[in-house]
Amino acid sequence: MRTATASATVPLEVSPWQRLLGVYVRWSSRNPWLASVLPFVPVVVAWAAIAKSGLFPPVFLPGPVEVIQKFGTLMANGILPAYLEDSVVRLAAGTAVGMALGIPLGLLIGMSDRAHRMLWPVLLFFQAIGDIAWLPILLIWFGFGLTTMIFVIVYTVLFPVVLNTVLGVRSVPIELHRAALSLGASRARVVWEVVLPGALPNIMTGLRNGLGFGWRALIAAEIIVGTSGIGFLMFDARRAGSVVEILLGMIVLGVLWYVVDSWVLAPVERATGERWGLVTRKD
Amino acid sequence: MKSLTIERLEKTYFDPYANRQVTAIRDISLTVDAGDFVSVVGPSGCGKTTMLNTIAGFLAPTAGRIRIDDRTVSGPGPDRGVVFQSFALFPWRTVLDNVAFGPKMRGVPKARRHEIAREYLALAGLSHAAERYPNELSGGMQQRVGVVRALANEPDVLLMDEPFAAVDAQTRMTLQEELTRIWGERRPTVLFITHDVNEAVFLANRVVVLSHGSVLDDIVIDLPRPRAWDALIEDAAFKSLAARVLQRVRAA
Repeated sequence: MRTATASATVPLEVSPWQRLLGVYVRWSSRNPWLASVLPFVPVVVAWAAIAKSGLFPPVFLPGPVEVIQKFGTLMANGILPAYLEDSVVRLAAGTAVGMALGIPLGLLIGMSDRAHRMLWPVLLFFQAIGDIAWLPILLIWFGFGLTTMIFVIVYTVLFPVVLNTVLGVRSVPIELHRAALSLGASRARVVWEVVLPGALPNIMTGLRNGLGFGWRALIAAEIIVGTSGIGFLMFDARRAGSVVEILLGMIVLGVLWYVVDSWVLAPVERATGERWGLVTRKD
Repeated sequence: MKSLTIERLEKTYFDPYANRQVTAIRDISLTVDAGDFVSVVGPSGCGKTTMLNTIAGFLAPTAGRIRIDDRTVSGPGPDRGVVFQSFALFPWRTVLDNVAFGPKMRGVPKARRHEIAREYLALAGLSHAAERYPNELSGGMQQRVGVVRALANEPDVLLMDEPFAAVDAQTRMTLQEELTRIWGERRPTVLFITHDVNEAVFLANRVVVLSHGSVLDDIVIDLPRPRAWDALIEDAAFKSLAARVLQRVRAA
């Protein structure tokens, strides 16, 4: 009885740590970008400290300031925007083609047992030949050009999209097909009204994986094939021995992926699978 | 609404693991008159769900015919509305668009089909939930949507496959009472599958008992309507009918 009264009148003590946490939660909910930026503060601080300590020669490990300066120079002379555009356009084109091929193929294999029997082993065989393993023959066929790079990206995006679409199609409960049919939907209508939305959360997962792999494949292709792009920038910098540019390229890769994820993929996922209760909400 | 006739229905399927034919339905003949409410009960494995899936056209019969009035049907179609045990609402459509789905497939324009959907939602007391998604509703509310979605498409026959088995006991009684009320207002032809004897007797004008894929008994339920659980739970006529059906099911 006494403890009950005490807890009602005397507020429980808030530790300094909790106070800090409270400030962070309130601030970051008002300014969402803070939540994306703050976790990187210790990483950058540690990097600056190690670079400053003289443990490595500055030519091997430049600090954040030098990289930021380089960023400024390359932005000003237009090289970075141009290379960035080249890389992003290649990725976007490759991904678009990869999805345009992968989603229908996944729907077909997911819905038809016959197509599954015929195509699944072939699919697994070609999946095993990784993207980069195609480069030698692609270079002979298409030379050092856009076609080769797009082929590699399409190839890389295709498999995760197909495999996840198949999984998504097969995870749609049969009752939903039946409900649509007994409400008067034609078979074709069922694909559009039931199969596609039902498979969408998995298709998004496939796209997310595909984009991630495609992005890596693109950088690798640019390093080998390229005459422009972020991968080319990094490899060209190696030739010149400019670690600053290499680090800048690496940071651009990370930032760009973060932007694609949080501005493109996550909002789509929130508006579809999470909204429909097909995927657990992450708060 | 129209009558439903099942003539000498038979359904066997091949079990590749046991490497033999399994008989789910041996021989069932049954007529549900236009505007009638018939319950089908029986123990697990008696073929009642297979029967419903065959009538709905989800499974092809091995032999026999299914007729709506004089027309033989095969394959699923909007003339036979289905209410599923698992609700089977489209998670990516709002409640309103779920109910409007059937009219949409018929090509009814958007404004008109939303008007139809709102009318049916009001019938089940769901007007306030029209813009919500199914996963935001309780199980009982989801199945109310499942029932009016089937009704809004104005099927000739309504097939219900243990629709209230997945909701809690109190909600189930409420849903049963609502279903008898809606049936009284709209008088659809209903075939209702259940394993719950009290539910079968409470809802129906006739209870058909299945056993090993055949009709074992066909019992007329002449209880007055409207029916309410508060009164019937103590009612001698209800109790004796339920006991009679239960004995037949246990003998099955």
